[in-house]
Amino acid sequence: MIDAPGRVRQAWRCGGLLVLLAACGADATPLSPAGFRGVDLAPPLPVPELLFTDTDGEPWSLATETADRVALFFFGYTNCPDICPVHLANLAAVLDRMPDDLRRQVMVVFITTDPARDSVPRLRAWVKQFDRQFVGLTASDSVIFAAELAMGIPRAFRDSSTAGSEYLVQHAGQVVAATRDGMIRVAYPFGTRQRDWAHDLPLLVAHGD
Amino acid sequence: MATSTFQWWCAATGLPWNWQWQWYPGIHIALLALAGGWWWLGTAHRWSHRPWGWFAAAWLILLATLDWPLGKLGAGYLASAHTLQFLLLTLLVGPALLKAIPAEGWARLAPEGSRLHRLLRFQTRALAGLLVYNGIVIATHLPAVVDGAMTSQLGSALIDGAWLLGGMVLWWPILAPPAFRRLTMFGKIGYLFGVTILPTIPAMMMVFSDWPLYRLYELAPRVWIGLSANADVQLAGLIMKVIGDLPLWIATAVIFFTESKQEQHRDGG
Repeated sequence: MIDAPGRVRQAWRCGGLLVLLAACGADATPLSPAGFRGVDLAPPLPVPELLFTDTDGEPWSLATETADRVALFFFGYTNCPDICPVHLANLAAVLDRMPDDLRRQVMVVFITTDPARDSVPRLRAWVKQFDRQFVGLTASDSVIFAAELAMGIPRAFRDSSTAGSEYLVQHAGQVVAATRDGMIRVAYPFGTRQRDWAHDLPLLVAHGD
Repeated sequence: MATSTFQWWCAATGLPWNWQWQWYPGIHIALLALAGGWWWLGTAHRWSHRPWGWFAAAWLILLATLDWPLGKLGAGYLASAHTLQFLLLTLLVGPALLKAIPAEGWARLAPEGSRLHRLLRFQTRALAGLLVYNGIVIATHLPAVVDGAMTSQLGSALIDGAWLLGGMVLWWPILAPPAFRRLTMFGKIGYLFGVTILPTIPAMMMVFSDWPLYRLYELAPRVWIGLSANADVQLAGLIMKVIGDLPLWIATAVIFFTESKQEQHRDGG
């Protein structure tokens, strides 16, 4: 039988332990076998040689333009109400805090899954508001689908439950990362935090050195 | 794709933000119960007067804090709105609710010799107030607690309840009727100064942390694209420290001037 002051002391100890556990266990993101906080893709996939149009209206080849750099590919659309702006804003915030030499080796490539509404000027205005260095790309539906297929990403489709010009597009939520050898090695599902990116970007840049 | 979902109490949904009004029946029921309880207490204990002004202020601020839009913004979208809710509940609603019960009401609610009287008397001590209030502040701002609780309606309601309780505990040593023993003027000033110290830790963590503290707000759909998750958390830290300290400093000044004046009167008389 524990007396009243003893119970109070016990409650304080339990409370303190809970607080400590909560504080320590908050961000224990497990690492992949290769040491990334993202998900390893096995086997890695080559960046496809496909031709897109960038936000200056110029042709842009996925494999050629991203050669010898870490490329983070994300498929989304500018009317996306939730995950697209969160992913891009978080990437911009992380890159903003990275050293210049590391930052220069990382490209963020946003590929629209809604080419009908995402005109080149609209895509430029939207992508560049996050970071002037981000690349926005558009192409025909067939080229976008070919890129998704080659990168192991489920095909985006127009949400049939939404009508008119305000329709939504269902698309994959993950960013896929290609290392400097042109191989897509890691996927980052929606939910990846800035601290996870900060952990993985230097590893992605250093991969293969 | 749904743009809203029925909820009794504001909690994070992960749905995109929109400015469409949403009804949270649980909040309105709780507020009606609070008004009913206050009315019943005054009638049952035959208060000679009802502090209408204090109760109306507490009730209206409570409504504005918990209900749409601030409640929804704070529950699932903006850390800064969440912090504003914390400040409104602890610094305005808490003391206003204490003042909404007159001294005679407190005496009848907790008659001398009762357990409640002993507890309330104990809570007028500065150390007791500091420990309980700061415990609530720290516990309800831990990332694991915020990220876990705010996604459930019950968890979100518990956080709101904890803050309301925290606000009443915080102001009790200052506002308790004389029957419960009160701090001296310098005791009150020292106590209020002490209250400002510990919340500096979560506030500074929010302002200076390299990465957003809370997963919930970092990954929440954006309300405005111009307000990034990082800026939102930094704003939350600034609100907590700068705006949060203001009422405490004002209270300190009020206590100093009114009580020194009373002392002068006593010395003169």
